[in-house]
Amino acid sequence: MENIRIERTDRTPEVNFDFTDNRFALRGESYPEDVPAFFGPPFSALEHHLKGLQTGQVTFSFEMIYFNSTSAKVVMKLLGLLEETAGRGVAVTVNWCFKADDDNMRELGEEFGEDMETATFHMCPTDK
Amino acid sequence: MSLARNHYRIRELLHDQGVIFCYSGYMTEAILSGLGQAIKQKLAIEETDANTARGVFSVFVEQMQNIIRYSAEREPDMKPEESVLSYGTLTVGRNADNFFVTCGNKVARGDVSRLQEQLALIGSLDRDGLLALYKQILKGETPEGSRGAGVGFVDIARRASRPIEFDFFDLDTQHAFFSLRATI
Repeated sequence: MENIRIERTDRTPEVNFDFTDNRFALRGESYPEDVPAFFGPPFSALEHHLKGLQTGQVTFSFEMIYFNSTSAKVVMKLLGLLEETAGRGVAVTVNWCFKADDDNMRELGEEFGEDMETATFHMCPTDK
Repeated sequence: MSLARNHYRIRELLHDQGVIFCYSGYMTEAILSGLGQAIKQKLAIEETDANTARGVFSVFVEQMQNIIRYSAEREPDMKPEESVLSYGTLTVGRNADNFFVTCGNKVARGDVSRLQEQLALIGSLDRDGLLALYKQILKGETPEGSRGAGVGFVDIARRASRPIEFDFFDLDTQHAFFSLRATI
């Protein structure tokens, strides 16, 4: 699968999906005009790739500053997909990175993280 | 009344209510982007608490997108490549202790009871209840009876420091006017 790299804009996050190393990241702000149009293709590629994995390690880093409620549905779907992948025996690590002073992003991490039973969910406050 | 006096009166009316930003007219995604940047900038200049500023911005985005997607007053014959033009009014302001974001738009009278039910349900929930509803909607498991409660409203309620205020009145046989205010 060809790696996916989408540059960040004011309203869409950087998407960095490295299928060779199984390292994936979303960085920045997300309130696209058309959420399905933006996330659809990378999400489908990731879903297809992860469904073919039975072993190995996968790391997904969320480094979000802000996402709107429509993007939150995508975050929830991604976490569901990662948890499902972990359930098949793949070692999945999710890094939830946020500015240390961002109470809302911290809370969202705690709230989403509590549903992750098999995947490892790390809270990563940063000073940046 | 002179042009300047008349316009100043509109400005003072808003100013007296603590309004910092006001937009009334056709809304598009491009206007959301532009206004959003200006709001961020203004809050940064005033050294607004970072969490409050994030909350105001987030509620602003949800309210703008609600108008763009759901206002019953819109230009009907848009070509696919053109932006949707939806009419609505949105204000961001400040009173003694808090910021507020208020919006208003026309809705179909047939949608009023559903909106009322959704907002009343959201208003009846505490933090844990809002979190449970938020997750249910995000996972696509909307509880029976709520008919797809808008995740945007739940998000606004989670960001707000007190329950969302909302109101309707009938404009004519087809339309009602809907207004919502969130305090952050």
